[in-house]
Amino acid sequence: MDPLEAIKVTFFQECEEQLSELESGLLAMEQGETDSETVNAVFRAVHSIKGGAGAFSLEPLVRFAHVFETTLDDVRGGKLAPDNNVVKVMLRAADVLADHVRAARDGGVVEEARSQALAAALEALNGEAPLAPVVSAELDDMPGLEFTPLTVSEDDGFGDDFGFTPLAAGIISLEPEGPALRTWTVLLRPKNALYAKANETGLLLRELKRLGDLQVSIDRSELPGLAEMDAEHAYLTWTILLTTDRSQSDIQDVFEFVDGDCDLSITAEDFAVSPAEIGVLGGDEPFDVMALIQQAQAEVQAAPAPVIMAQAFAGPASPPAPAPAPLAAAPAVSVSSPPPSPVAAAAAVAPDAAHGAAAQQATIRVDLDRVDRLIDLVGELVINQAMLAQRVTESGVPRSSNIAMGLDDLEHLTREIQDSVMAIRAQPVKSVFQRMPRLVREVAAMTGKQVRLVTEGEGTEVDKTVIERLTDPITHMIRNAIDHGLERPEVRVAAGKGPEGTVRLSAVHRSGRIVIEVSDDGKGIDRPRVRQIAIDKGLIEVDSNLSDEDVDNLIFMPGFSTASSVSDISGRGVGMDVVKRSIQGLGGRIAITSRPGQGSTFTLSLPLTLAVLDGMVVSVCDHTLVAPLTAIIESLQPKAQDVRAIGPDAYVIAIRDTYTPLIDVGAMLGYRTTPLDPTKGVALLVEGEGGARAALMVDAIQGQRQVVIKSLEANYRQVEGIAAATILGDGRVALILDVDNVVAARRREKARSDAKLATVG
Amino acid sequence: MTESASASRLQLIENLDLKAAAPLQSEFLSLRHMPLDVDASNVQRLGGLCLQVLMSAQATWAADAVSFAISSPSPAFQEALSLFGAEDLQSSIQQG
Repeated sequence: MDPLEAIKVTFFQECEEQLSELESGLLAMEQGETDSETVNAVFRAVHSIKGGAGAFSLEPLVRFAHVFETTLDDVRGGKLAPDNNVVKVMLRAADVLADHVRAARDGGVVEEARSQALAAALEALNGEAPLAPVVSAELDDMPGLEFTPLTVSEDDGFGDDFGFTPLAAGIISLEPEGPALRTWTVLLRPKNALYAKANETGLLLRELKRLGDLQVSIDRSELPGLAEMDAEHAYLTWTILLTTDRSQSDIQDVFEFVDGDCDLSITAEDFAVSPAEIGVLGGDEPFDVMALIQQAQAEVQAAPAPVIMAQAFAGPASPPAPAPAPLAAAPAVSVSSPPPSPVAAAAAVAPDAAHGAAAQQATIRVDLDRVDRLIDLVGELVINQAMLAQRVTESGVPRSSNIAMGLDDLEHLTREIQDSVMAIRAQPVKSVFQRMPRLVREVAAMTGKQVRLVTEGEGTEVDKTVIERLTDPITHMIRNAIDHGLERPEVRVAAGKGPEGTVRLSAVHRSGRIVIEVSDDGKGIDRPRVRQIAIDKGLIEVDSNLSDEDVDNLIFMPGFSTASSVSDISGRGVGMDVVKRSIQGLGGRIAITSRPGQGSTFTLSLPLTLAVLDGMVVSVCDHTLVAPLTAIIESLQPKAQDVRAIGPDAYVIAIRDTYTPLIDVGAMLGYRTTPLDPTKGVALLVEGEGGARAALMVDAIQGQRQVVIKSLEANYRQVEGIAAATILGDGRVALILDVDNVVAARRREKARSDAKLATVG
Repeated sequence: MTESASASRLQLIENLDLKAAAPLQSEFLSLRHMPLDVDASNVQRLGGLCLQVLMSAQATWAADAVSFAISSPSPAFQEALSLFGAEDLQSSIQQG
């Protein structure tokens, strides 16, 4: 791949991350979390996308992102209150931005009208009235010192420390028309990464110098002595007074390429500076303005504040700031001024920011192929280790020997390696869940219903291969829940519910599987109607005797669709049967519970990984098979009096007063033709999909083992009743039973013979 | 303080970029506790990391109470110092 393309690929990957940041940030704002950290995160997301898009000349994307960014900047600057309407528009804008990103990536085109409509909506927001003054009263007695709190943060926490947001008291409206000279205080603290990436503070200063008049001073208080210093560590902080007629964003642009690699704050003194005053500033006292502000602030704020602020400032990038050192020649950290907010709050932010920065550094981007290869290799290692152990046992080495003990250690280690490698590929389901709010908004808009999506357990981790295949089924289930489950607002109100329906999406780990639930508080499944449709479509007999659960499960039958008119939303030819099949393809199960008038819940239960499986190793007619442990409820040795014959070759077994079908696995797979005597074998009580139970007859149990799954489809072809294969310690291939399929096959057989009986009778 | 005439001499290289910072630091350290005359006549480029080394060296020499002087600064060096706002270093420059 040509290098530029490779960078572009990375850019789009990062875009996806930024988009999900954006979305979760906006959703947090919707919930009322409008603190500057959240707003800044949202702003940064859009800003980064715009910046990267600019580098690749993705014009439409840049244009839209710019409008969006401008609005967000107003929110950040306090000019625009992020009320519900504003956030709603921004959520829709985020959707369009996502479309733009995808269009740019995949070469598509975004619906121009929609994009423009939202751009216009965003621009309309910009024109709104500023926030009401909050705490400016205290500062009113400082004539000539109205400074505009346009704080720009390039680093978490930094902006908060210096944020004057509460002061955004309509001062901006006093902003003089047209270009006027203003003095900006730029606080620049390069991080190590800035230099490591071959960027240079000097060049940044040179760029700034092109914008206007510079007064630069260095804070060297953190600079250690020569023997103690690390030559590649950044110790200095620059305070730059820039007098220019350029806008803040022009100044900001200078730092575009060091975004994230330095702490940056740009604040404006909101008064036009006359050339005469510049002369004064340019004299021997470069901190004239700062001193004034600090003096003024000192009257408002308790004296220790500046010191604490200095430490908070030092916090994110370096170890605890040394006390103002003997080296401190320049004025102690030239903090523009302490914020009017309580000092404690500012100090509390710093550790968080440091934590955030550390968390960011602690991740790397790895090609998934490499991880997959590693997982494959570890799988081979596990098999190899098992084979080695078996050979050692066969050679008659006593269990207490050093070799055997060494092998035990090896097994332990191998298992640990395997777990760790699997953990690399594990990802929180957040990436899937985050796509859903948009879906809900769109479907809600199309159906005219009011929907609230509640998500829980976003941090639940599952293998990436599972995650990738979760989106479609969950998307479809949520569409269904809104389209078919929830009622229209007026119907809900008539039924005594709130007009807004709730769709709940949750994920949780339960006994080695991940369980995902999609539930709604709608009308529940209309069983008589479902039944009628199934009869009309010839899926069931008119007089079939079905339990409520059976009726509910009819919606999973191929060719079933309850919407009387095939709607645009759920009826895209994809029914619940497809959802069920894709879940089963993942080794999962899907179940439904529904209560009329109260809603339905779809429950997906999926394996955490598709790579390994805890299995019960059993023998059937000299063949070794593996039954997934998760499906097995118990194993027992049938007694003759418990087994009853039903028909010529069907048996049931009584287990605690319940008759359960007995399935002879050997006969089912064609290993033998004469049925096994139930009393000579072992029965595994298993639970298939939908809770259907059956007892699987096998000859003997060999033991429990974790096995590495090798796809049969990929290496051979799909086999009825078999899910996959594995390689055992002795090097032989063992087939892994598809329990659901075996149970269902037996039911199908029974249905066929019933039908036969029915026709005969 | 000792006269600069008897001082050790350190010739700064032309390009003081990020790669030069660590060698420069070692060079200074090897000359520690000796009066030092830093010749900046060849400097064409001065980066932030080398600036740090120079500033730290100057402060360390001052703390050791040993003389530290920068002589015959090139125009590029002087311009860089003023751009960086490194007034302390400028004050170490020996005129003439």
